[in-house]
Amino acid sequence: MLTMPEPATAPDANVPAGMMEGDLVRRARRGDLTAYDELVKRYQERIYATIYHMTANHEDANDLAQESFIKAFSALKSFKGGSSFYTWLYRIAINKTINFLKQRRNKHHISLDDLDFNAEHDPDLVALISEKTPQRDINLSELQEKLNEALLRLSEPHRTVVVLHDVQGVSHEEIAEIVGCNIGTVRSRLFYARQQLQGFLADYIKA
Amino acid sequence: MSDTNNNFEDLKRLLKLKRHEIPPPGYFTHFSGDVVARIRAGEAGGAQNILERIQSDSPFMAALLQLFGARPGVFGAVATGLCLLLLVGVLFMDRSEPGSAPTPELFAQSAAEPSPILAASTPLEPADNGITVSTNPVSSLQPANTLFGSPQNPLFQSAGFTPAGQ
Repeated sequence: MLTMPEPATAPDANVPAGMMEGDLVRRARRGDLTAYDELVKRYQERIYATIYHMTANHEDANDLAQESFIKAFSALKSFKGGSSFYTWLYRIAINKTINFLKQRRNKHHISLDDLDFNAEHDPDLVALISEKTPQRDINLSELQEKLNEALLRLSEPHRTVVVLHDVQGVSHEEIAEIVGCNIGTVRSRLFYARQQLQGFLADYIKA
Repeated sequence: MSDTNNNFEDLKRLLKLKRHEIPPPGYFTHFSGDVVARIRAGEAGGAQNILERIQSDSPFMAALLQLFGARPGVFGAVATGLCLLLLVGVLFMDRSEPGSAPTPELFAQSAAEPSPILAASTPLEPADNGITVSTNPVSSLQPANTLFGSPQNPLFQSAGFTPAGQ
């Protein structure tokens, strides 16, 4: 007998499926926590993922993600609608994470536990390890650790653009809006960050 | 350059693999509920905490607090310096207090010595009839002894009357 897996988050009966984001934001601004709950559900994974890739620590990402949503709720009145809610929310999360990282600059703690690394069968990884990587006997955990260590060696602004673009797939224009700079700055930071990462990961990316 | 582009492609492929780093299944089941519960508990409550308020209102103070947090030795040195300054100020005030108010001995001393200030002004020469008139401005009509050693007020004369020739 086939059973359908339960969705990760059950839909709220008070919120019609497909409700426009603008309506949810308007209701949340008036203090409707049901509407805000729906907004959190829509963006929790992306916000969490971005913060995790910036911090490489599950506990920190959990705390920061929650605090970002809490702060966003308290700052909703200042959201004028000039940018999308998603961009505005991202900005809050990124700034909060950067401030956190600056305060504990020398206390990097990469946590690899509790994460489901399902990359074993990823075609990109298979191609990368089998064809390009000099150290072909590297295991996935080590590769993950090296990658995260290399990311943590980047400065916060450079790490931000790499995480947003190369990991999260956010466009240059959106990144510029999120971090508050022009597109040229985003591109130059991205180029510099990739060069740096390439140097850090030279053993794993064949020249 | 083509090598760089090619390697960037490999790097991008490597970075994409990070998308597989996800929390265990069910992690997000209660996430939004926890956020809303915290909001309801008043952690947001429409009010920022002190540090966030400082950060938004006064970036300079926020930077200063950050510096103190990162370097507690600096904070200690500044605090010690301020305490020492306060101590020095208190000691200085204590030392200057005994001599701050004029004493009777001081009055007598200044009365015996003519004041250099008055010496520079127009001297008062009593006229032949014993009455002295002066256009010099005076601060008081009271013929009191002062620190400036002026026992006589030119506009105030005793009622004594000495006939001419006697």
